[in-house]
Amino acid sequence: MFNFKHEWVETNVGVMLVLVMLAISVGGLVEITPLFFIKNTVEPVKGVYPYTPLELRGRDIYQANGCFYCHSQMIRPFRDEALRYGHYSLAAESQYDHPFLWGSERQGPDLARVGGKYSNEWMVQHLISPRSVVPESIMPAFPFLEQPLAYNDIEQRMEALRDAGVPYALTPAENARNIKQFGPKIAEELYIPDAKKNLIAQARAGDYDGHPGQITQMDALVAYLQVLGTMVDFSKYPNDQFVQDR
Amino acid sequence: MMQWLEWFTRWENTKPVGLVIFFVTFVGILWYVYLGASKGRLESYKNMPFLDDDTVYKEDKQ
Amino acid sequence: MGAAAGSPAQQYNYEVIKKFAIMTLVWGVVGMAAGVYIAAELAWPHLNFGIPYIEFGRLRPVHTNLVIFGFGGSALFATSYYVVQRTCQTRLFSDGLASFTFWGWQAAMVLAPISYMLGHTKSREYAEMEWPLVLLVEVTWVAYLLVFVGTIMKRKQPHIYVSNWFYLAFILAVALLWTFNNLTIPVSLFHMKSYSLFSGVQDAMLQWWYGHNAVGFFLTAAFLGMMYYFVPKQAGRPIYSYRLSIVHFWALSFLYMWAGGHHLHWTALPDWTSTLAATFSIMLLLPSWGGMINGIMTLSGAWDKLRTDPVMRFLIVALSFYGMATFEGPMMALKNVNALSHYTNWTIGHVHSGTLGWVSMITFGSFYHLIPKLWNRKLYSVKLVTVHFWLATIGVLLYIIAMWISGITQGLMWRAFDAYGNLQYSFVESVAAIHPFMVMRWVGGVFFLTGTLLMVYNCYMTVRAGAPETEPAGGNLQPAGANA
Repeated sequence: MFNFKHEWVETNVGVMLVLVMLAISVGGLVEITPLFFIKNTVEPVKGVYPYTPLELRGRDIYQANGCFYCHSQMIRPFRDEALRYGHYSLAAESQYDHPFLWGSERQGPDLARVGGKYSNEWMVQHLISPRSVVPESIMPAFPFLEQPLAYNDIEQRMEALRDAGVPYALTPAENARNIKQFGPKIAEELYIPDAKKNLIAQARAGDYDGHPGQITQMDALVAYLQVLGTMVDFSKYPNDQFVQDR
Repeated sequence: MMQWLEWFTRWENTKPVGLVIFFVTFVGILWYVYLGASKGRLESYKNMPFLDDDTVYKEDKQ
Repeated sequence: MGAAAGSPAQQYNYEVIKKFAIMTLVWGVVGMAAGVYIAAELAWPHLNFGIPYIEFGRLRPVHTNLVIFGFGGSALFATSYYVVQRTCQTRLFSDGLASFTFWGWQAAMVLAPISYMLGHTKSREYAEMEWPLVLLVEVTWVAYLLVFVGTIMKRKQPHIYVSNWFYLAFILAVALLWTFNNLTIPVSLFHMKSYSLFSGVQDAMLQWWYGHNAVGFFLTAAFLGMMYYFVPKQAGRPIYSYRLSIVHFWALSFLYMWAGGHHLHWTALPDWTSTLAATFSIMLLLPSWGGMINGIMTLSGAWDKLRTDPVMRFLIVALSFYGMATFEGPMMALKNVNALSHYTNWTIGHVHSGTLGWVSMITFGSFYHLIPKLWNRKLYSVKLVTVHFWLATIGVLLYIIAMWISGITQGLMWRAFDAYGNLQYSFVESVAAIHPFMVMRWVGGVFFLTGTLLMVYNCYMTVRAGAPETEPAGGNLQPAGANA
């Protein structure tokens, strides 16, 4: 007969190490690994593409200043959130987000679909002096965002993301693949050798911060905020299209 | 005859299978700890934190 | 105790424990002060001053990292090295390696806050460190595992005491969590910036698998290890039930790792994952309360100690907060409760009833026992311990009550509709409504920090000016049976 004694574990540190390792490994294995293999974890949807070089740098600045601590980017499927923020967030919408920035708090409102809701001028004014436009706001003022944007390493950043699986193109072959997947206009933005050129062009054309002569962190951040949640055109899908994938 | 085994291979049945495995393990642990012959023996180890005082203070008195 | 009371100090490596103990207090004060400051920033936003280095988003990780890893981590290094030596009755496996863990850990605690204030962050909560610091912590942690397991292997006792099981599970689990949650691709070898290897939904699940188990193993299992040694020692009686500790140890180790998904209810994470996580969160109530009962019932038959010994009071109130927080947690993991509580201050209140009420209180109690032992001095003032106890308790209560009220207010205002089915409140109205409670939370924090400062003073006076232990011990700080 099997004669187990807990003393066997208590007197053998090796046995204890192995058993503890087993006990703590199961949960993660069962819950995380399937997410990489079950197909409808990320639902099929048209329109989501990786960030342009300028938006990517804006996202870096969003991260560096810890915006995600107070602003979530994950709208839940509730009526109040639909009215306040828009369609609930899809997994596909953050499929190129390394890391995810869903957040865990709402000291400020959700930003998952803030893109296009406010003008660039409002965004800049609000970031420089939040209480001049929203008196009760508790957001810090970010006047220092008007410093020049460092973008010399933009190619390296995109290459790192490419290594992580984001379809930024390094070779003409990859570029051709992107043209097929995203169309020529977006594919151009994803082509790493042209990153600097594209970044400067978008900042000039967009003139997000109202200072056309220089490219600032403000340009990048506002460009990023203005694209948030705008990629998927929900009017093209029936109302309950995405419920089945939940 | 062995066709009932196929039930275990179906994805949607993992939940009850997991539940049964975990519950049986848990009951087994409880059985062993509280009802087995080990009761008194296991409790005897709880004095370990006080053992070191003896050795230390014996040395102290030298 | 005889004149040669220095012998435990010779037999055991107390030097590294003393260093970690001092740094525990240092990081406790700095980390809690950072917390008080960012709480003030949320109440009075002009305190951000438009200065990048001290704005809320950069100071928050300074606060969380310094209190979790600086204060909590140093306390765990100190007590685990103390407990493993005393229960194995052997010296640490390697003085050199132990010293390395001290300097490695402290270097990370100095560099990480500076890097956050400069804007270097991975943006993963409680794992903000960029890749060079991740590697530093990883190497330090492997050394910690070696020291700890090595010490257990040369033990003079055949059995490994319960405390050490918990410390061991904590060291292993944190190694596992830290490694997988920090898989990133650096921009270049000379660049602080790195991008997460994973994205979106998988990245979110990985982070909250880490995040919840940082709570489960760093802030719970390891502090239970502390509890299993210091509560019996201070009470002068063995733990209530050794068998209960076996059951709750294995149940806790197994169940905790499943629960992380409850941080992602109603998000784009598939339903099956978050539902599974919620189920395990509810089951987790059992081992959690097993541990609480085991600790509190240790005092059964000696309840009068609660009246006479403020150190005991710290330990028992810590266990009570632990019981409360581990009841509140599973409740908040229910999907319908979570729909209200998620994204609100309720979550932050919940975290703090765990971290202030349980983690800090159990540390304070253990340290009032440990510091006199390490320096072989009588505690400078028992009265100050009582004052500290009340400051801390009032501080926690103010804090969590403020956060309950403000959190539920936020949740209800966000989902309120008017008679026409439109949203009743704009977002900023909810911000304005909770302002008084943000002030109340700050006051709670000030209370708690003041108590900690008193403790630092008390410990300083104990080490510098306290009477040597050889004098007759006053008060009830000596556990019965400690003086053989």
